Amino acid sequence: MDPIVYVALGAALAAGIAGAASSFGVGIAGAAAAGAVAEDEKNFKNALILQGLPMTQSIYGLITLFLILLVSGILGGTFKFADSTQENIIKSAILLGAGLTVGLTGLSAIPQGIIASAGIGAVSKNPKTFTQGIIFAAMAETMAIFGLVGALIMIITGVGF
Amino acid sequence: MEINTITGILDTTLALIFTWIGYKTSRIIWKYTPYSYPNARIRAMEARFFTEQRFSELAESKTLNNFVMNLEDSDYKPYLSKLNSYTAETIDRAFDEALADTYALMFKILPKRVRQFFNLLLEEWDVRNISSVVKAKLYGEVARDYVAELGTMIEKIKAMAEAKTMEEILVILEGTEYEEVYQKLLLKEISVEEFETELYRMHYLKLLNFALSRGDEERKILEEFVKLKIDKINILTILRAKLHRLSSEKIKSMLLMEGSLSQRTIETLLNVEDLSMALAELDSTKYSEIVREVREELEKGDLASFEVAFEKFIRRKMIEFTRFYPLSVAVPVSYILQKESEVRKLKAIAKLIEDKIKPEKIKTIIGEIP
Amino acid sequence: MFKPDEMVKIEVITLNRYKDKLLTYFHEEGVVEIREISVEIAQKDVPNEFYRKATSYSIGISRLTEFLKSFKTETKGGIKEFFFPTPEVKKPYKYKGIEELVKEVESFLEKVEPEIKAIEQKLNTLSTEIERIKTNISILELLSLLNIDISYLRSTKMLEIVAGLVDREKFKPLIDELNTALKGRLVHVEKEMKAQYLVVFVILRRDYDKANPILAKYSFERIEIPEGKGTPREMIREYRHLLAEKERRLEDVKREAQKLAERYHDKIAFYQELMENERDKANILSNLVRTNMTFALSGWIPKSEVLRIVKGIEKITEGKVYTSIKNPTQDELDDIPIKLKNPKPLRPFEMLTEMFGVPKYNEFDPTPILAFTYSFFFGFMLTDAIYGLIIGITAALLIKGHKHLKDGTYKFSHILLWSSFFTILMGILFGSYFGDILQRAGFKVPMLIDPLKDALIVLGIALAIGLMHLFIGYTLGFIVKLKNGEVKDAILDQLSWMLIILGVVSFILSMQGMMPDIIAKGLFGAGFVLFILSELKNGGLAALLIISDFFGFIGNWLSYARLMALALATSGIAMVINILVEMIWGVKIGPVPIGMAIALILFAGGQLFSTAINALGAFVHALRLHYVEFFGTFYSGEGKRFEPFKSKRRISKLEIEV
Repeated sequence: MDPIVYVALGAALAAGIAGAASSFGVGIAGAAAAGAVAEDEKNFKNALILQGLPMTQSIYGLITLFLILLVSGILGGTFKFADSTQENIIKSAILLGAGLTVGLTGLSAIPQGIIASAGIGAVSKNPKTFTQGIIFAAMAETMAIFGLVGALIMIITGVGF
Repeated sequence: MEINTITGILDTTLALIFTWIGYKTSRIIWKYTPYSYPNARIRAMEARFFTEQRFSELAESKTLNNFVMNLEDSDYKPYLSKLNSYTAETIDRAFDEALADTYALMFKILPKRVRQFFNLLLEEWDVRNISSVVKAKLYGEVARDYVAELGTMIEKIKAMAEAKTMEEILVILEGTEYEEVYQKLLLKEISVEEFETELYRMHYLKLLNFALSRGDEERKILEEFVKLKIDKINILTILRAKLHRLSSEKIKSMLLMEGSLSQRTIETLLNVEDLSMALAELDSTKYSEIVREVREELEKGDLASFEVAFEKFIRRKMIEFTRFYPLSVAVPVSYILQKESEVRKLKAIAKLIEDKIKPEKIKTIIGEIP
Repeated sequence: MFKPDEMVKIEVITLNRYKDKLLTYFHEEGVVEIREISVEIAQKDVPNEFYRKATSYSIGISRLTEFLKSFKTETKGGIKEFFFPTPEVKKPYKYKGIEELVKEVESFLEKVEPEIKAIEQKLNTLSTEIERIKTNISILELLSLLNIDISYLRSTKMLEIVAGLVDREKFKPLIDELNTALKGRLVHVEKEMKAQYLVVFVILRRDYDKANPILAKYSFERIEIPEGKGTPREMIREYRHLLAEKERRLEDVKREAQKLAERYHDKIAFYQELMENERDKANILSNLVRTNMTFALSGWIPKSEVLRIVKGIEKITEGKVYTSIKNPTQDELDDIPIKLKNPKPLRPFEMLTEMFGVPKYNEFDPTPILAFTYSFFFGFMLTDAIYGLIIGITAALLIKGHKHLKDGTYKFSHILLWSSFFTILMGILFGSYFGDILQRAGFKVPMLIDPLKDALIVLGIALAIGLMHLFIGYTLGFIVKLKNGEVKDAILDQLSWMLIILGVVSFILSMQGMMPDIIAKGLFGAGFVLFILSELKNGGLAALLIISDFFGFIGNWLSYARLMALALATSGIAMVINILVEMIWGVKIGPVPIGMAIALILFAGGQLFSTAINALGAFVHALRLHYVEFFGTFYSGEGKRFEPFKSKRRISKLEIEV
């Protein structure tokens, strides 16, 4: 395959999968937030913050997308790996790997949304559990963070600016 | 190996992984999303359950007027403020209405695949109402006093209570699932007790079938819940019969279907000599916790306290489920159980206040209500 | 610092007549945690008539307040109110005793309650009337399908007339069955509707009992015929008229209610607060015991407050009191409530420790360390000088505005202020101001490391910090356990990891050739042996956990990589916004530099969003690193929090007369 296909796929999958997962996560938590607020408006602030947690995965996806576009030169105007040399293919395959890593680990946004949803339930029963709820939800993000760390290393050491 | 083979293997692996992830993800989303809204809402409602503190404050009310006033900042306010006069009976009706609305709310907000269960739970009130109206009619009492204004067919129940003859009731029940059993009762094919048992048997069969037709956690939770309820009735029937030394054949006809207790345990329970041996047998089941809790009362032949302990046990189990499965049907089920308990306690307080019982006494009585 | 505040047990026995005042004194001071006494010979105290009334009034008044509040014209709200909430005026009340207070409230309520209830009643009747009229109109609209004069639909002496709805498929059998049962003595008018039939039956009065069950059987829904004369259409016009008039009246009554709210709301809210505090006192009574003449209470109090409180008790009871102050014994260790005690600048961070759980009395209070590492981690993960500045300014404003409240926002802003300091510092070190906007604009920015280019170095720093953090945790645990005499646990659970960490560090150093690797191997080996021993002490099966526990440690350590990831995420998002801005900047439509305007809006909005979302991330993950990784090494948080018996006063102030 041409290097451009790898690069474009990598960028698209990173932002795409992570973004889709984030929207599911935020959606699930959002339904819970609506339920909590329907009973008591005081729950609004707590529910809002918990609902926002699954959003970060899409941001990691976006960052990866931009980094891939940046290092491959698409964002500078000239695509660096246009020739199908072996080196170019390897580099663009690494970019695809990085994008996939962030995209797939970004799926953690869905369970994070589920945890946040249960957390919103717990918080509306007992507001004191707010921080605990946040921490539980943050646990699920660890995988996305590891994914981002891995992708950053792949992009920066494997391809470089 | 050729490059093509390698890319081929890689592509297949990728495709497999993506399919698997897609499948798993959609399963997760399908399973949890529908519960997100209702469960958060129910949790928020749970925050408004009355505490012990609140009950003892209510017990201190002295008059029904104060009692209603003390409830003015609660969810019951809209129902109570409709009343013109405060008697234990009118207040009772208001609470029933509140409870009926709770069922209706559950039905409205829960996902389609389980909401029917709450309608079925509501039907238990129909069964209760029908059997008490029929019994009241047979024993010549005022049927109206025994009707709880709850259930899926209140209007019919009310008409039944107004009916002058037993045949009129049959006309009203015509076309409902209760018709056949009632006809048997009229033809004296079965006794009133058998009639009642049959009503409950039909009801629990429906509950159980519904529970068994669900999948995953929903099935697990609902099945456990229904079977606990069945066990409660079965065990109580057996213990009561043992107390009156009925024959095992006779008891057997009074039992509902099989609950979570195995057939063997039931057989043993049926065939043991007396109550204390039945208790010993129960001690080896999962209900040993209850038996130990109320051992002394049981040995005195006090089955009411056993029933109370059993109710509490079911509630505990369901609350336990809500911890394991925070986004599941366990949350609404345990909410309903807690709400029913709260309403029972409030009704009792109202009645006791009307009877001019001392607050200290009320508090102890309330503590014993499931 | 490092240890919870010293607590002593206080026991007071005095005469019953001082009970009310003494409780009120404790309640207002709010430094004593009253515990239940179990003494067999004395009986538990119960609320008297006045406390009961206070409870009942507090609920009753809260309803009135709520009602009035809904009519009070509010002018508050908005961003200014968020930063600078108007301080509530605390109205003083001279407290002579609960009797006086309850009587005062009683006489006030006697005057005011009927007024409010009357208005409420009016509102309710009007709304129900309006509701009824509306239902009547909808019924009439239904009946207008038949176009029969309404007076024909009323039952007479001989005839029973019932109107109602029945499901479409039940209509036919219903008519048939009624006809057979009544032997044809039946007249009906029907009108077909969508899923139902509208039917009016005319039956003989003496047949009614026969017909009724049949109607019930087919779930016949009866319709109440509204009052009035004429055809439905005529009546609808009349009812519409009536409705408009009632609605006008409703508006009038609402205005009346507003006036009432202006006059009474504040006063009623004041009494509500007083009553709620009395209710609180009534509830503590069950923790007391009493005899005919005396009562006793016991509780915990910080040592620093003892002298003042004992003096206060003496004064209130005119010296007729027995007070005993005892230091806690070893048996009571688990019972002592924990109040954290730290120097003022660190105090806001107690909130974070308390959220996890307070230490036991003989354990270590990690707040001072957490205060430093938390704000540092926050700064590391945000790493942008200007973001730090934005957060710092916001926090400073909030601190200023909430000074008089000393609420959660106030404490939280303090934490943010400290964290913003580190954010700015790290931002300068990494040369990040709104990400790389300055570099893009062509300035040369001094920096130690470029986080995006030297990501691996940042990762190394993050992991080194993690190792250090964990080491501190294990060391603290080791010291506390040694001090409490749990030597075996200290060596097995904590020292093992300390040695392993030292081993890892010296291994890295030996790779650089700075020390022989035999030391590294020795340290690591010794630590690992201790670790295996600590696993085995829980029995043979626990050996299965060795691998998972060891990799648990590695996982904890690698978890600190999030420091780097979030730091890079901040600069990444900032960079994304900057790139977008750069792209739009030059766009022009004809001579109009439209791109510039859009770019500026995008820049401001984007960077603010980035600040918010990254600050949330930094807040959450800094907290997580402490709760999960750091506290996991040594801290249980199983202590009981100090919950003093304390009044809640927002708009009132109690002055006790002695």
